[in-house]
Amino acid sequence: MTEALRDIHLELAQGTFVSLIGPSGCGKSTLLRIVGGLADVDRGEVTIGGLSPLEAQSRKQFGFVPQSPALFPWRTVLENMNLPFEVNVRGNSAAKLVEREDPVELLKSVGLGDFVNAYAKELSGGMQQRVGIARAFGSGAPILLMDEPFSALDEITREKISYQLLDIWESHQKTVLFVTHSLREAVLLSDKVVVMSARPGRVAAVIDIGLPRPRRAQIEDTDEFHQYVAEIRGYLRDEWKSS
Amino acid sequence: MVASKPGKRKEASVLNRVKSRVVSSPYLPPLAAFLALFLTWELAVRLFKIQPVTLPAPSSVFYEFATSIGFYLPHTGVTLFEALAGFFLGTAVAIVAGIFMAHSPLLERTLLPIAVLANVTPIIAIAPLFILWFGFDALPKILIAAIITFFPMLINSITGFRSIDGNHLEYMQSLHASKWEIFFKLRLPNSLPYLFSAARTCVSLSVMGAVVGEWSGSTEGLGNVIMMSSNYLQTERMFSAIFMLAIMGILLTNIVRFIERKVLFWHAMGGDRD
Repeated sequence: MTEALRDIHLELAQGTFVSLIGPSGCGKSTLLRIVGGLADVDRGEVTIGGLSPLEAQSRKQFGFVPQSPALFPWRTVLENMNLPFEVNVRGNSAAKLVEREDPVELLKSVGLGDFVNAYAKELSGGMQQRVGIARAFGSGAPILLMDEPFSALDEITREKISYQLLDIWESHQKTVLFVTHSLREAVLLSDKVVVMSARPGRVAAVIDIGLPRPRRAQIEDTDEFHQYVAEIRGYLRDEWKSS
Repeated sequence: MVASKPGKRKEASVLNRVKSRVVSSPYLPPLAAFLALFLTWELAVRLFKIQPVTLPAPSSVFYEFATSIGFYLPHTGVTLFEALAGFFLGTAVAIVAGIFMAHSPLLERTLLPIAVLANVTPIIAIAPLFILWFGFDALPKILIAAIITFFPMLINSITGFRSIDGNHLEYMQSLHASKWEIFFKLRLPNSLPYLFSAARTCVSLSVMGAVVGEWSGSTEGLGNVIMMSSNYLQTERMFSAIFMLAIMGILLTNIVRFIERKVLFWHAMGGDRD
């Protein structure tokens, strides 16, 4: 077995947006899965508000947005939105405390108000992923784990959805761990960008993004934005040279 | 002359429309083929003066059938009951076995060879044994129909329960779903296309199972009618029973198809939007 991750020390403050960025094979998706209780660690400790990942998972702390939207084709958009409230609820006191948001309002906020009763196959890839994001925000979970949610989308759709994610996050202020390959998305969305290096995955740098909020699309045209992108690119270049 | 032109064109377009409707209809072309077949058969019997014992004309088969419908219906009911009871029994056992085998590769490795053995043994060889064990009633026929149904349903249910999208499974795990929640909300709906595809073939196979059982020893049912009329050289009666079985097979397969379309509306839906 090869070592996937080494010496990772990270702290995520509540209500912040943190991106993990790095070359393929740097273990950023593995790290996300360890946090979410979907993969095990051999050594080390991950705590979520004092809970182990699996305990946190059972107390409905996570809203997961995988690479592909993971909408069940036999369910309508609304029924897919309701899935988190049908699973792991019996005899679960934590599930009762979860605050439920109106799923139709959430769908409207990502521009899918007309597709509440549509099936996944009737939606484009970008629309499906917007449902996936709305579902995570509507699940009542305080921590959202997003594993390259835009990687299967074309550039134009990608850009549009990243603004929608920015909007919906700024109105909800949940803790987000966001795995991405895109420097632009990392700087646009994050409070903090974690640059990782490969084989085994380590933290190369942690950069605080000081851009003011609420952020709008125009922020991408500012010098500050480009400086951040350049800074992250610099760290990634150092990684390429050393490997 | 000039005025009649649009009229002609209209006529031609009506003709074309009728033509394209006939060609694209799902029923008309096969119906025409059946009619042609029966017509050729009828003419051949009359022209070559074939003895009714060898090959009765379709018209006399139809006459026999229409005048003795009261004789055929109870036998049809018996065979239909045996076939359907066997089909449902085989399906139920196969799905339950499929649930366990899909969850445990060890159980699958242990038990699947027995299922394979039952599948490769010609059912017609087992049928007399079942009559010996369970008598001349419906039970051995139901069991034979169930055995025939069992294997395809088992294989397809195992495949259906297992072949779930990894992303879907991981999403359910991220919600801390239990094994049963994953089964009922993900594996079971996911397996439905596989189960229906097996059911479409198995439902007509179960009719065959019931008939094979009836041949081996019975007092009623369409298989019994075929055996008896073969002994007494009542060829028209044989043909009537055979047609009844064919109709039964077509009806059952189409009922499954109909239910499949209603249940799996999400499966057939195509067309991506962008």
